[in-house]
Amino acid sequence: MAYRARLKEFDDVLDQEVIDLKKLKSLSFHGIPDDQGRRALCWRLLLNYLPTDKSQWPLFLQEKRQLYKQFIDEMVVMPGSQEGNGDVTEGDHPLSINPDSQWQTFFKDNEVLLQIDKDVRRLCPDISFFQQPTEFPCQEIVNSNDVKRLHTRVQRSVLKCANVERKGLGITKIALSIKKANEDYAPMTEGKEAHWEVVERILFLYAKLNPGQGYVQGMNEIIGPIYHAFACDPDITFREHAECDSFFCFTNLMSEIRDFFIKSLDETDHGINKMMSRMLVQLKNSDLDVWLKFQQLELKPQFYSFRWITLLLSQEFPLPDVLRIWDTLFSDESRFDFLIYVCCAMIVILRNKLLNGDFPSNLKLLQNFPPMDVQIILSKAVELSKQKN
Amino acid sequence: MAKKTYDLLFKLLLIGDSGVGKTCILFRFSDDAFTTTFISTIGIDFKIKTVELRGKKIKLQIWDTAGQERFHTITTSYYRGAMGIMLVYDITNEKSFENIVKWLRNIDEHANEDVEKMILGNKCDMSDKRTVSKERGETIAREHGIRFMETSAKANINIDKAFNDLAEAILDKTAGREPGDHVDRVLVDRKQQSNTSRSCCNN
Repeated sequence: MAYRARLKEFDDVLDQEVIDLKKLKSLSFHGIPDDQGRRALCWRLLLNYLPTDKSQWPLFLQEKRQLYKQFIDEMVVMPGSQEGNGDVTEGDHPLSINPDSQWQTFFKDNEVLLQIDKDVRRLCPDISFFQQPTEFPCQEIVNSNDVKRLHTRVQRSVLKCANVERKGLGITKIALSIKKANEDYAPMTEGKEAHWEVVERILFLYAKLNPGQGYVQGMNEIIGPIYHAFACDPDITFREHAECDSFFCFTNLMSEIRDFFIKSLDETDHGINKMMSRMLVQLKNSDLDVWLKFQQLELKPQFYSFRWITLLLSQEFPLPDVLRIWDTLFSDESRFDFLIYVCCAMIVILRNKLLNGDFPSNLKLLQNFPPMDVQIILSKAVELSKQKN
Repeated sequence: MAKKTYDLLFKLLLIGDSGVGKTCILFRFSDDAFTTTFISTIGIDFKIKTVELRGKKIKLQIWDTAGQERFHTITTSYYRGAMGIMLVYDITNEKSFENIVKWLRNIDEHANEDVEKMILGNKCDMSDKRTVSKERGETIAREHGIRFMETSAKANINIDKAFNDLAEAILDKTAGREPGDHVDRVLVDRKQQSNTSRSCCNN
C-alpha cells in the first residue's frame, strides 16, 4: 500500500502540465520507483535535459534527436566511409602531415577511441547487459559491412600479428594467425549492435565535442548507469532514443562534475582535491575518533575517496544500488554536497571495524565496501547532514 | 593494534599503460585467479600478500595504479614510498612498450633512487598477436640494468616468480648485512637502508 501511495505521489507530480521540479526533487531524494520507466523520466528532468513544461517535449525531443543524428553522421558515419573508399586523389592521404588533414584527425581520433574501446569492454562485468544486442542499432553503421563501426577502427590488423620465425639472416617462415575474437565481446553480425558499442559511440562523440577534455577513464562508469536506465525503459519510443537522450543527460551531468576528471583543475574549488578535503573536514565534524585514527595511520582520503567522488560511487556498489544512490544525488539541491555526506556515512557506519583495524585492513575495507542495504547509508548521510557542527 | 604476523614489510607498485593487465597480474598473484572482466582501475587499488623468503615472513603491500595520464598526479605520490616497482607492458601492444621509456623517466623523477625495478612483458600467452619480441624487452631491460620477465596472468606464467624475485632483490638490500647471503648482488646504500628499515616499522 505504501508503495502504491508512493507511485501515486510521483504520478501526481509527473502528470502536471508544468512539472514542479522542487517537488520532484524532494520526492526523488527518497528513491524513484523502478516501475514504468519513472526513473529514466525523472533523471531526464533532474539532469536538466527535459524542460519542465511538458508541452515543449515533442518539439524539444525531436530537435535533440535530429541533432544527435547529425553528430553521428558527421563524426562517425562520414569518417568511416572515407576510410572505406580510401580516395587519395584530393591531396589528402593517410601520410599527410598537414594539420588540417582529415586523415590526421582520423588517426588522432583513433587514439582516443583505443582508450574508450578498452574501457567500454570492461563496463559492469558483473551483468551481461552491455554484451547483449540493442533493439535499436544505428542503421547507417551496422549495415555497412563493418567499415563504420568504431571498434573496427582500432582493431589490430591480422598482418601485424603474423608470426615471423627467423633463421639466420632471412625470414624463413611467416605463419598467418587466425584472428580470435574476444569471447565475451564478439562482434555482432551485420545489422546488429551490442549495448557496449552504443556506449562507445556516446563516449566518442562526447570526446569529439569536448576536445579540451577528451575522454578520461571513469567516464564509462558515469554513462553506464544512465544508459542502462534509459535503455531499459518500458516505453518503446523512449527506449528507441535511449542513446540520444543518455548522451545529452551525460553531457549535462559532466558539465557539473567534469572538473573531477581534469588534472589541471585538481586544486580548484570544484576540483577533486577540494572535494576530498571537504569530505575530510566533514568526517572530522561527524566522527572525530575515526578522523584521528586515520590521521594516526596516515590513511589519506586519496586512497579511497578519489574513486568514490570521481565516479559518484558507481564502482562501489552493485548497479541497482548505484541507481538508488543516484536518485538521491541527482535530487540534491546543491549538487554534489550530499555526496560528501554519503561518503562520510559510509565511513562512520564502519567505525567499529576502522577503529580497531590497522592501515592495510582499513584500506582494504574502504576500497572494497562490504555489501549492505544502501538505505542504511543514505539514512545515515541524512542524519549527518542535519547535525549541527 | 593487530599483532604483527610478519618480519618485514615491502611496499610494491605496479605501473604501466592502461589495459596492459596490471590488475590481472595482481589478482593472479593475490587470489590465484584470472578473469577478463575487470573494471578499469580509477586512482589506486591495494592488495596484501604474505610470502616466505629465506625463512622470513614478508608482507607485500602492493599498490595497483591507473594507467591513464589523468591519474598520474595521484599515482606518482606513491612512488616515493615504494621499495619495488613493476613496470608492465603488453606484448601485443607496441605503444605500451614504447611508453616504457616514459614510465622509467617517471620513476627517475618520483621514486627513491635505488628502488628495485622490474619490467614485465605481459600477455605472453597471446603469441598469435605478439608485436613486441622478447628480445626487444630484454634489450631495453639490459640497457637500463633492470630485471625482465615475460608473464601471463591468464596462463599463470612467471607471476609468482616475478613477485618473488622482486621481493628477493629488496630483501638483498635490506638484509644485505647478513654474511653469505647472495653476496654477488649486495648493493647497499646506507641512506636507503635506514629509509627502508624505518618504513618497515610504519604499519
